[in-house]
Amino acid sequence: MRNKHGIAGLAVFAIAAVYTCYQATGMHAERESWNALAWVVLLFTAFNAVSKPWADDASNMRSFLLHTVKPQDWLLARILYYSLMLLGLGALIFAAFLLFLGMDPFTGSGALFFFLGIEATALALASLLAMIQALAARAGGGFSLIAVLGLPLIIPIILVSTRYGMDIMKGIAFGDTAHHLLFLATLTGGFTALGYILFPYLWRD
Amino acid sequence: MNHLFFQINPLEGFFFGSGKAMVVAGVAIIILIGLGLWLFRMESRLQRLNDALDQRLNDAQNQPS
Amino acid sequence: MIQRSWKIGGLALLGYVLCMIFFVPLGPGLLEFTSTGSAGHVQDQDRKVTVYALTGFGTHWTESPDQLTVVLRHGTQLASLPLIETLDATHVLVGMDLPYTVPSKSWDVLVTHPVDGTLLLENGVFLQDRFIDEQTKWANPEIAEYPAELPFHFPYQPQILETIRNLMLHVPMWFTMFLLMGISFVASIRQLSTAHDLHQDTKAEASVQIGLLFGALGLVTGSLWARYTWGAWWVDDPQLNGALVTVLVYAGYLVLRATIQNIRLRARLSSVYNLFAFVILIILLMVLPRFSESLHPGKGGNPGFNSYDLDSSLRAVFYPAVLGWMMLGTWMYHVRLKASSIERKLRQLQ
Repeated sequence: MRNKHGIAGLAVFAIAAVYTCYQATGMHAERESWNALAWVVLLFTAFNAVSKPWADDASNMRSFLLHTVKPQDWLLARILYYSLMLLGLGALIFAAFLLFLGMDPFTGSGALFFFLGIEATALALASLLAMIQALAARAGGGFSLIAVLGLPLIIPIILVSTRYGMDIMKGIAFGDTAHHLLFLATLTGGFTALGYILFPYLWRD
Repeated sequence: MNHLFFQINPLEGFFFGSGKAMVVAGVAIIILIGLGLWLFRMESRLQRLNDALDQRLNDAQNQPS
Repeated sequence: MIQRSWKIGGLALLGYVLCMIFFVPLGPGLLEFTSTGSAGHVQDQDRKVTVYALTGFGTHWTESPDQLTVVLRHGTQLASLPLIETLDATHVLVGMDLPYTVPSKSWDVLVTHPVDGTLLLENGVFLQDRFIDEQTKWANPEIAEYPAELPFHFPYQPQILETIRNLMLHVPMWFTMFLLMGISFVASIRQLSTAHDLHQDTKAEASVQIGLLFGALGLVTGSLWARYTWGAWWVDDPQLNGALVTVLVYAGYLVLRATIQNIRLRARLSSVYNLFAFVILIILLMVLPRFSESLHPGKGGNPGFNSYDLDSSLRAVFYPAVLGWMMLGTWMYHVRLKASSIERKLRQLQ
């Protein structure tokens, strides 16, 4: 239903953003800027990803779908779609960061754990933004409304993620900082459950 | 009072040392009473407006029948 | 009328709180314990010792000066210091007659006086010119702890000093915002379960509007307090960021409402968003601060003031303050709700 060009465009956007960061900081970036830039690029890519309207946001398509699919399943499908897309984009962003900005901040298997953090954040963002996108589309507000509603709501996710990333870069043992990942997983579950309950109210006329 | 304390925090030394706390407390309490009176008046006016509106709504419903 | 009496009661509580805030004095405390650099004689001793100046805040050392005792403490080790001279109610000179070998560099200063009670300056003195041997053991002198014999006063706390009074304004603002957002949360749930009536939606909107007002006041009082205790209007701290973001989330709620024209759709969508917003509020203000270290009081536990920090004199004002502000908040919410529902009826009439 969504075309390939959209996803390719997002990939290009993400790589261009990482390249801009590389131009700004140069090779061997400080770990603080490495950490900050990685999350900011992921965040902007995620917002870009959800900014495109779905075909079924139009009301005639929606009323057709209402008779054929359970709205809850429809939300889960959207979350799944965004999750897969953001997992892929997260991996791409991380690879681009390693390529351009170097692996200096990481010691041992730190890079692997940082990657885990990126993927966990991608899942949490997908579960929240799927709902926000549907809400904004239904309100007819477009991208600016997604930003106004979404940005404050995702701040807890980003706060936890940046702290986790910094812990990993400082060389703190994974076991001592894993509770951040657990928290992200709880958020993902919570947002999905909340969306699952509330999506029908959003969807029907 | 204490000279060292003035150095640490000049505003507070000024405030409590010069006996102006009375004035500030007085102003604060007057503002509080003003807010209370304003809220009471606003509430009763809204209540009257509400009753008048209910009357009008009733009339509007009863007239066509 | 019951209706009127609880509102007057709330105002009376706030009046009491304001009077207490401005008229209750602050209790005594210790500000500084520093070397004067000069040497002096202690009474009935020939040996010269370094003279230290002890500065108190609101103390009464001129009353019965001979009963003032100054004691250094490290763990269970105690050493009392001889007095040289009492200059005035808040300044005394003390002789540092510790032996050359001491068990630690940093010491707490304990001062006991019959009027002020036992006062403590944590890590008040740092000995540069001594030999450290942690094995050293001294015979502990007997000291008695007194409570202060002063009329009703707020406890002295270092750094916070007189700004402790802000406790009665800053903390209840957030409690009131919690209450109002909770009312809004319940109203939104009820709005989603009743499809035809929009009254619950009006309730949710009115309480968010008043709640945002209290949130803004909480930010302002917090910012002022931060300026006087931490030295900056804003510091990067999980608790502060959480508070700001909560206010932004609820501002987003009002933006969302302004975007949607259809009132039924608006009621439904904003209710859905409001449920998300309340969950985020709980996470930001109650869960996240416990995850991380914070400058804000109550770090790693209760995000408000720790109950151990609140002594009985603070509690006697703090609890009425919370109740009073909550009553005022609820009252303002009722007035706002009445105005909103009249607006709705007017539109219906047109």
